[in-house]
Amino acid sequence: MFETFYPQLIGLCTGALLLTSALMVWRHSLLASIRLLALQGMALAALVAVIGIAEGEPELVLVSLLILSVKGVGLPWVLAHQSKASIKQIQESPRLNPTAALLAVTLLTILSYVVVSRVFGLGDTTTGHAAPIGLAMVLIGFLLLISRRRARSQLIGFLLLDNGIATLAFLTSGGVPILLEFAVSLDVLLVVLILHVFAGRMRTKFGGTAVDQLRELHD
Amino acid sequence: MTGIGVGLLLHTQTGTGHLLQTGIGAGLLLQLGLGALAVVSALLAAPSLRSRAGGILCTLIAVTGFATGLAALLGATGGLLIPIALPMDPLLLAPDRLGGLFMLIVSGVGILVSLYSMGSTRGPDASRTAWVAMPVFLVGMQLVPAATDSVSFLLAWEIMTLGSTVLLLADHASRATVASAGIWYSAMSQLSFFFILAGFAVLAAASGGTSFTNLQAIEPGSWAANVAFVLFLLGFGGKAELVPLHVWVPRVLPEAPSHVSAAMSGAMVKIGVYGGLLVCVRLLPDGPAWWGIAIMLVGGASALYGILQASVSSDLKVLLAYSTTENMGLVFLGLGASMLLRGYDAQAAADAALVAALLLAVSHAAFKSTLFLGAGAIIHATGERNLDRLGGLGARMPVTAAAFGIASLGAAAIPITSGFVAEWMLLQSLIHGGRLDGAVVSVAASVAMPLAVAVIALTAGLALLTFVKAYGIAFLARPRSSAAADAREVSPLMQLALVLGALFVLALGLLPGPVAALVAHTVSPSPTAAVQAVGLGGVSLPGIGAVLDPIMLVILSALVAIPVIVSIIVSARRHPHRTIDLPWGGGGSRARPRMQYTATSYAEPLVRVFDDVLKPSRDVQVTHVAESRYLVERVQVEQRVSDVFETRLYRPVLNLFQRYGIVVRHVANGSIHRYLSYSFVALLIVLIVVSL
Repeated sequence: MFETFYPQLIGLCTGALLLTSALMVWRHSLLASIRLLALQGMALAALVAVIGIAEGEPELVLVSLLILSVKGVGLPWVLAHQSKASIKQIQESPRLNPTAALLAVTLLTILSYVVVSRVFGLGDTTTGHAAPIGLAMVLIGFLLLISRRRARSQLIGFLLLDNGIATLAFLTSGGVPILLEFAVSLDVLLVVLILHVFAGRMRTKFGGTAVDQLRELHD
Repeated sequence: MTGIGVGLLLHTQTGTGHLLQTGIGAGLLLQLGLGALAVVSALLAAPSLRSRAGGILCTLIAVTGFATGLAALLGATGGLLIPIALPMDPLLLAPDRLGGLFMLIVSGVGILVSLYSMGSTRGPDASRTAWVAMPVFLVGMQLVPAATDSVSFLLAWEIMTLGSTVLLLADHASRATVASAGIWYSAMSQLSFFFILAGFAVLAAASGGTSFTNLQAIEPGSWAANVAFVLFLLGFGGKAELVPLHVWVPRVLPEAPSHVSAAMSGAMVKIGVYGGLLVCVRLLPDGPAWWGIAIMLVGGASALYGILQASVSSDLKVLLAYSTTENMGLVFLGLGASMLLRGYDAQAAADAALVAALLLAVSHAAFKSTLFLGAGAIIHATGERNLDRLGGLGARMPVTAAAFGIASLGAAAIPITSGFVAEWMLLQSLIHGGRLDGAVVSVAASVAMPLAVAVIALTAGLALLTFVKAYGIAFLARPRSSAAADAREVSPLMQLALVLGALFVLALGLLPGPVAALVAHTVSPSPTAAVQAVGLGGVSLPGIGAVLDPIMLVILSALVAIPVIVSIIVSARRHPHRTIDLPWGGGGSRARPRMQYTATSYAEPLVRVFDDVLKPSRDVQVTHVAESRYLVERVQVEQRVSDVFETRLYRPVLNLFQRYGIVVRHVANGSIHRYLSYSFVALLIVLIVVSL
């Protein structure tokens, strides 16, 4: 019963991951991006849980709970921890228009499929076939990092990149050891907290968090 | 020392199967320990005690180095093994005879400098930083010749460079030129280091090891050896102040505190020479003929250019700095000649040239450190280093004047001093080198040798002029400024260092035989066939049939001169001396200090003759009397001689880099998006390339 659903479940989870990534590039509202991030965290947790059940490893189910709590709930909550009214008004004016950005997402996804199939080979397992999604998420995260002006939007790009790395790890080798995963998750949480405080300080100090206005600091 | 060292072991070489002495290892370990102690004492000692404690410890470091070097020079073996975890040959400090000789030179200068600095340092020169850097510098210099693998060689080299850079910057707060000198020095010494590192890297890649025994296995004619030779020549040539890598010298040596300039010019520069010898004699002996010719060309050009600049300089320390370039040029000329001659099997002449080069290095260490310390004493007493404002110091500072005078004789290569012996031997080898048993050895040698003789002749003449100017203008005649008129003799410790230096110069000049014989052991496979001690400390070159016995010459000339002098004195007594006040003064004494020759006017004919090479810029300002334009109130003449290599070679290159730097600033404009885009594009390119 489960074996017949397994490829479809994997496909569903990875599809959700890719879709949320693409939507994050498309949407300009910060709140929307945070919600998409929460959705993506849940999809990642689901993916890990599915792999865990299929491989028969209870450890991975534990990891999926951890991911759900950190990436699905914790991080989005930290990012959105502000009055809903003000956060709704934050609109990103990216350096890349939506059409070009979505085109770039397409190209990056194709590139990652090409790279993975040529360099590593897709293999014959279900997870192996889905591996390019992880690489595509890394590249899309990077794209967000360079195309967003605000510090907090860049943070979302950084988290997307991190999700991509995690996805790639779970799809290719069944995840990293639980201790490592735990440490990395905590690290990311810590980084996000620090950057969040930092962005808040920037906003009170300079009245905005548009990073490209800060270039004069280098002198 | 390295942080990766597991422990220090006293190393014993058991080449013949039985245990040899380990005194050398203990000496090296003692130097390291004393160095650490000196650093700690400089950090902790009270300011009033700092110079004394630092000076005593530095003297002890140098004395230990001297003893260790002497032991190694006399043939003792052993060393210090520093095991490391990295996958390469272990670090082994074990000086051979050649290393021992250079350790001796460096630490001998170190003794003089330490004694002198104990008496002279004050103000920023005696700061905590300066006294921390001094033992670091000394220990670094003394360890370079002890290294027997490229890693410890480079490590000691960098310690030496670091120490000297910090010492150079001692006066940076009071003079703006010190900072610029520091930048030039750092840039040029890192350039040297880069070339040396690259040279060792090429050799290590070709031989598969980092120890000198591994590197020796490389065929000298091979491609790797040729590349490494060029790199080493650039690297060590830069340290040895050879043209065109000498541009740091006229900036750095005058700006450093005088005892530091003495250590740099007397000792550190010799490490550059040691590097040259290491490559040409030990690592890659019997190289192709063009190596010898290249070294001769560079050496000859340095000798000529250095002495030419020195002869027209009116700044005492710039003069001494350029004269260092000249002397190192001659050392490399001798080295190149010996390589060329050895290639044509003229062994006797080749050995003589090499021994002459080494003797020149030894004697240069003695007289140039004395000269720099003497210049330091002058600056200490007057605050002036411009010769045009000195004069009359002979009567006011007799000990300094005597020591400086003897060292000047050495620098001008006048008999009974060390410089003469070395240049005599070099000339002998060059004159006799072109022929072997009456037949011409090769066309290259028969062209190169007479040219080299001409270079040495011209250099010697100009050196004589230079040091007559330096001594005469500074110490004789009347003071040209009130600072010079008020000068007082320096403190006893500084005098002691000066007198010791001058005695070295005389001893090396009067007793060259034993020294030359000892030096010959370091480089020649058959030392007794090359150089022998004869007579009363005289030296003989059996291979080319030349003998020099300075003490016999002195006795001989005394036998001739004493009757003449006695008869002159007797006849002078018979006719009492009449004092006449300047017969051309019209009865009045109107001779003023301003009427004397100055350093600039003394060198003016030379500037005229070598106008095309020196490109001087002259500035004449005439102030007329207000009433009439036909009457002159005062005339001011200023003459500047810039370094041709700096203006023609370095400036354009530096300007090019500056323009490039301005362009590059747009690439890195501080925008974080741009930096992220660079890494993103780089990642994409890598992905695309690997999937192709």
